[in-house]
Amino acid sequence: MGAALNGETVEQPFDINKKLEELPVEIRLRAIDRLKVARLRHRKGLLARILLVLALIGPGILVMVADNDAGGVITYAQTGSIFGLGFFIPLMVLMVPTAYLVQEMTVRLAAVTRRGHAEMIWKRYGPFWGAFSLGDLVIANSLTLVTEFIGITFGMSIFGVKPLIAVVIGIAFISTVMLTLRYHKWERASLIIAFFNMIFIPLVFFAHPDWSLVAKTFLTWHVSGGLSSLFIYVLLANIGTTIAPWMLFFQQSSEVDKGTVPEDIGAGKRDTFVGACIMATVAICIIVLTGTLVFSTGHVGSSTSTTSYNIAFILSTISKKIGTLPVELFALGLIDAGIIAAIALTASTSWAVGEAFNWPKSINLPFLEGRKFYIPGIISMLVAAAIVLIPNIPLGFLNITVQVIASIFMPAALLFLLLLVNDKEVMGKHVNTKWENASIITIMVVLVTMSSLYGLSLVFPHLF
Amino acid sequence: MAIDENDFSFIKNEKDWDNFLKREKLKDYSKIPVKRAHVNGWVKFAFVFLRIYIVIMLALIVLGFLNII
Repeated sequence: MGAALNGETVEQPFDINKKLEELPVEIRLRAIDRLKVARLRHRKGLLARILLVLALIGPGILVMVADNDAGGVITYAQTGSIFGLGFFIPLMVLMVPTAYLVQEMTVRLAAVTRRGHAEMIWKRYGPFWGAFSLGDLVIANSLTLVTEFIGITFGMSIFGVKPLIAVVIGIAFISTVMLTLRYHKWERASLIIAFFNMIFIPLVFFAHPDWSLVAKTFLTWHVSGGLSSLFIYVLLANIGTTIAPWMLFFQQSSEVDKGTVPEDIGAGKRDTFVGACIMATVAICIIVLTGTLVFSTGHVGSSTSTTSYNIAFILSTISKKIGTLPVELFALGLIDAGIIAAIALTASTSWAVGEAFNWPKSINLPFLEGRKFYIPGIISMLVAAAIVLIPNIPLGFLNITVQVIASIFMPAALLFLLLLVNDKEVMGKHVNTKWENASIITIMVVLVTMSSLYGLSLVFPHLF
Repeated sequence: MAIDENDFSFIKNEKDWDNFLKREKLKDYSKIPVKRAHVNGWVKFAFVFLRIYIVIMLALIVLGFLNII
């Protein structure tokens, strides 16, 4: 662009800030984030490479760590308490490729389509499937939020905090993170919170486990005690905890809001893989911790069940054996797990509703401009928090309902994922390869069978 | 929020800026329509299976919950 001066054209300096001002606010903030990524790509040297890697991580780690939520932590603790160091440690290692293969597809979908999962289902497959997916997701997210608040209140009770105060602290913290931070800072703050989920890794060393026994589980992988109904129940619970429908929606929307483009697919895959490794490591550490300290104590024989090995019993056993500090660290981990999952679930609900109704949908939006976007997530959180405070509410029944809804939703969520990622019109050259489809269909068949059986076993306890 | 232009000297002019916006897909996608997918072949079969699965699961779960209550 130039201006005529004495017959000559004088170049006006290019004003990047003026150009940014012309963009809508959510795109402007994303553009600034992407400019920083582009600047790192232009720089040479090891420091620039490290900073680029750090800039591109986020949704993959967040989704996997948030999957180790309060319910997940309790499930792993019960698994180790009931079955010790055995079948479930190698199983958790197998969950790394399983979770990775499912979740990395959302990275590609987001990078290529620049749209969330709910939006793609609604627009490609119509309002029936769109409404079904959205309704199921919102109900499941809201009920899962109840379990997160149960974890937060239980964890805080270890430090003598009353449930009402714990719930208020939880609401204030989660709302502040979502409403006051724009995407980049929201993601960084969430990653810091997610980092504390790794508290379970040093915690395992308090138990002085026999690592040779842990290693042996890989060489002698078998089901100790045979295929009992309890074993099937715990197996299904662990698989159900590892892959949940909300994860697909969360990661795809998060990648879109982050600004992931096809050039970042490799980085997004690495982010997802690192997240899956963290998820499995934390799960294994919890299983080893309770497998070493709680397994074969207290409840044995016919009385063994997930209800007899409740979290209060597990923590009191740990406290008796190695003191109160590890129990306090465990409680901190449980609070952190509830908070990081609540942050992810709240955002997931807001993104999905915004995508379905074509509302503005970005954490880059200031509250007043994006109130339509923020309100569904905040309402779901407030409802969940209120439910936890109702005296004598059947929390066990609620937990069953969450799992049942997830089990109904799982096949649909996976089918739409598979359809979208194989849609050449949408994905172009980024469609699944034959090998990827073969792996995913195998995983789908196992997951759908397991989640259906799990859902049914919860309402028909004597099915197996 | 203003940024320091010197940090982004790789964007020198309008053309660089337009290329940047295009490469980074920085546009309002809500204004771009998405075409409905053609549902036929095995996809149609999968959708029928999915509907049957949902109906059966819902029926079994209602029965199960009635037993629990």
